[in-house]
Amino acid sequence: MDLAFMGRTFLTLIEGVPLLLELAGLSLSIGAVFALLLATMRLSGVGVLDWTAQSYIFVFRGTPLLVQIFLIYYGLGQFRPALQEVGLWWFFREPFYCAVFALTLNTAAYAAEIFRGGLLSVPHGQIEAAKACGMSRLQRFRRITLPIAVRQALPAYGNEIILMVKATSLASVITLMEVTGLAHRLIAQSFRAVEVFVVAGAIYLFINFAVTRAILVIEWRLSPHLRQAPEGEAPMKPAPAHARGA
Amino acid sequence: MTDVAVSVRNLRKSFGALEVLKGVSLEAREGDVISILGASGSGKSTMLRCINMLEIPDDGEVTIGGETIGLERTRRGMRPADGRQVDRIRSEVAMVFQSFNLWSHMTILENVVEAPIHVQKRPRQEALDEGMALLEKVGIADKAKHYPSHLSGGQQQRAAIARALAMRPRVMLFDEPTSALDPELVGEVLRVMRSLAEEGRTMLVVTHEMGFARDVSNRVMYLHQGVVECEGEPQAMFANPESERFRQFISSHR
Repeated sequence: MDLAFMGRTFLTLIEGVPLLLELAGLSLSIGAVFALLLATMRLSGVGVLDWTAQSYIFVFRGTPLLVQIFLIYYGLGQFRPALQEVGLWWFFREPFYCAVFALTLNTAAYAAEIFRGGLLSVPHGQIEAAKACGMSRLQRFRRITLPIAVRQALPAYGNEIILMVKATSLASVITLMEVTGLAHRLIAQSFRAVEVFVVAGAIYLFINFAVTRAILVIEWRLSPHLRQAPEGEAPMKPAPAHARGA
Repeated sequence: MTDVAVSVRNLRKSFGALEVLKGVSLEAREGDVISILGASGSGKSTMLRCINMLEIPDDGEVTIGGETIGLERTRRGMRPADGRQVDRIRSEVAMVFQSFNLWSHMTILENVVEAPIHVQKRPRQEALDEGMALLEKVGIADKAKHYPSHLSGGQQQRAAIARALAMRPRVMLFDEPTSALDPELVGEVLRVMRSLAEEGRTMLVVTHEMGFARDVSNRVMYLHQGVVECEGEPQAMFANPESERFRQFISSHR
């Protein structure tokens, strides 16, 4: 392997990192809000809402992200006149917006089920205690249900963040020059696939290393109740079996 | 009428085909400590839970401090006419649960001050000071910064009692507060409850603790299959029970 070449490759590919982070960051944050909405629709007990959310989740989890990206960018491109008419063409003609759109819709479907699991795991008795002291529905959700659900959902959601960082590589198929896109171009110029992809892989690995660490830190800070009591005192009961050690 | 703290009139509640409450009435004056006894399935917990609308009665009336909770009939059964009225009344009626139900993500002190700060909107520092004083009172001030999972069952239940007291409630409802505890932890919780009774607090206690019912409460109510079988002063009721069922019940709970 040509180390000098790999060094130059690294400098080229690293330029794709800001775009990668933008894609992942934007779609994850918009997707999380959308996912919370979908999860509450699933749990609303209202047939139409539940059914709508369920079908949405079924479609977006059941089809490949690559296909979704193609359909949104190339597929909707065929309806250009109609999109121009409703004033949405500026959005769908940009590959960046299309990629964020596809990634958002996709992550929302997965995260919705993760959040739903978290919300369902909140012990009924704790919600009842909140009711019994006069908290309104919104207060109960904000102060009790959501904080407990987030703690339950975090490990699974960490997985989703990592998957999304990697999923941004698919944006290269609609001409976006993030890390994988740049790697493709470099290979076409140099015909040295192994070196280029090894460097690209290492960049993803490093980003995800940082992501995993960050999630661990958040998890640790949110779960003092799963660790030993302060002042070195032993807990009265062994930590529950589902307690995740940090 | 002003000294009537809680009045329940002709309460009915069914779960599916099962009629759990078949017209139960109760009146608690300020300072009353009423023990509600009965076999499991007799409807005693359901009656208690109807008082703060954790269960919505199918029929009947609940009045707290002279204010009757408005209910309206819909196609899918009864529901509170005004959610905010229910929230407000709930903040005056504290409840202690069989399984403690402390909020697991908050420390003991945070549990105690949560409702005073966020529901009653009292000043933070005042709530914290009062919260610490209450933890002192129930004997777990040293656990203020611990999480519920760090405490024994008895300590958790005492924390839950402190959380209930922090609301400065007009009435306290206890739903089998010692039933989930190991026998050696029951005493510490009963001691706290006894001291509350001696302070003159109004308490409705669903319990299987015959000692508490006989020695601490000033009235006992015995439910059987959704109706009040008998009620009265504990001394008289325990000394010579007029009801055969109640006699059998207390002899099986010695």
